[in-house]
Amino acid sequence: MDLAGFFETLGEVWPLLANGLTTTLYVTVISLVVAMFLGIFVCLMNLSKIAPLRGIAKFYIWIIRGTPMLVQAFYFYFAVPQLLQATIAPDFRLDVVTASIITLILNAGAYISEIFRGAVQSVPKGQMEASRSLGVGHATTMRKIILPQAVRICLPSLVNQCIITLKDSTIMYAIGLPEIMNQAKVYVGRTFESFATYTWVAVIFLAITSVLMIVSSQLEKRMRK
Amino acid sequence: MASKKHTISEVKIHVEGLTKDFDDIQVLRGIDIDIHAGEVVCVIGPSGSGKSTFLRCINRLEEATSGQIVIDGNSITASGANVDKIRQHVGMVFQQFNLFPHYSVRENVMYAPVELKLMSKEEASAAAERLLARVGLSEKADAMPSSLSGGQQQRVAIARALAMNPDIMLFDEPTSALDPEMVGEVLDAMRELAEQGMTMVVVTHEMGFAREVADRVIFVDEGIIQEQGTPDEVFGNPQNPRTQSFLSKVL
Repeated sequence: MDLAGFFETLGEVWPLLANGLTTTLYVTVISLVVAMFLGIFVCLMNLSKIAPLRGIAKFYIWIIRGTPMLVQAFYFYFAVPQLLQATIAPDFRLDVVTASIITLILNAGAYISEIFRGAVQSVPKGQMEASRSLGVGHATTMRKIILPQAVRICLPSLVNQCIITLKDSTIMYAIGLPEIMNQAKVYVGRTFESFATYTWVAVIFLAITSVLMIVSSQLEKRMRK
Repeated sequence: MASKKHTISEVKIHVEGLTKDFDDIQVLRGIDIDIHAGEVVCVIGPSGSGKSTFLRCINRLEEATSGQIVIDGNSITASGANVDKIRQHVGMVFQQFNLFPHYSVRENVMYAPVELKLMSKEEASAAAERLLARVGLSEKADAMPSSLSGGQQQRVAIARALAMNPDIMLFDEPTSALDPEMVGEVLDAMRELAEQGMTMVVVTHEMGFAREVADRVIFVDEGIIQEQGTPDEVFGNPQNPRTQSFLSKVL
């Protein structure tokens, strides 16, 4: 195949890929934003003095870390709706976009909560003690002293998680989400242009992840100062 | 056994039967002491003797295993004690300074009064400037802690503790993490505080400072007060063989 044909294929496949890319980015961005909040929440549960809260957090993280994302996606798209239809909600329907977002949120949320936990625990103990010794309460100390330092520490890891979740979103191909890989497959099915099409898919991912990697390394450099 | 000038003044810190276990190691084995208003008490002893643990029990950074500690008439060891409220009157300075690295020097000093809504930001900023002037760091108000020397950081930590206008100051080996040439500036700031009548409990290895500034020196070893008295008594004529052996190594 000549180079001209390669770019020609891009011209033909691009509208389809752009469509898929929009879905990929939409699902990824929503999932990550919600997962950040979920991650903070689960992290605080995990560090709480109340044992049942810690138990719930650890159970959730255990399930997510211990099962493949593909299984989780099938579970939320097929298994859970069937269970609900058979029991409390006979008319329950879940569209593929929502199922994908739920899977990605729950998945990224677990990992982000662990990133936060590591960061909170890496803030020196003396910071908490210094603030508490001044008579400032635990909650204010967490908010004003510990979390701002923890966020700084874990920013590079959070950006890294964004890269992972972006790439993981392609797994939703398997449940039929019309994301970029799905659209590429459709085009290949019609034209048999596997090489050009999948090369372009890879290049598009590389372009986005490269930007994120640069952001991450810049943050790391700034932190070392 | 308190030095004479304090025997009739009010008791600021009352410690009774204090013990502390870490797992199955008994670090404090029964400490009893009354510390009076305006008194400067230096706690000396070998490392691992429990002197830092004793200090940290006073503001309940460590939970006492048994015994009680009463500060200005309020028990801080009681189960329902308002620990935060009591701590507002007890400043603490740490060996590792523990300044907040994401705040400027001024913000470090302003932090507690502003967060506790005792001062507006403007009042706290003005107060911070006065305190920083007192420890000789006016020109560093807008610097970040990481740009300061260890001695400067520790003086900021003293100003930060003073911002709450405490009645009592606890010092946990405040010069042990400093380069030798910076010890003097921190001790000077502490000496000045002592002269102004602050009640101070100082865990220290600076025997010169203890001898010069302390009203009372306490020698702690194996989790109990082995000997106490005026600096002249403890340093000049130690009675306990452990004290004699310790002092012969450090003096």
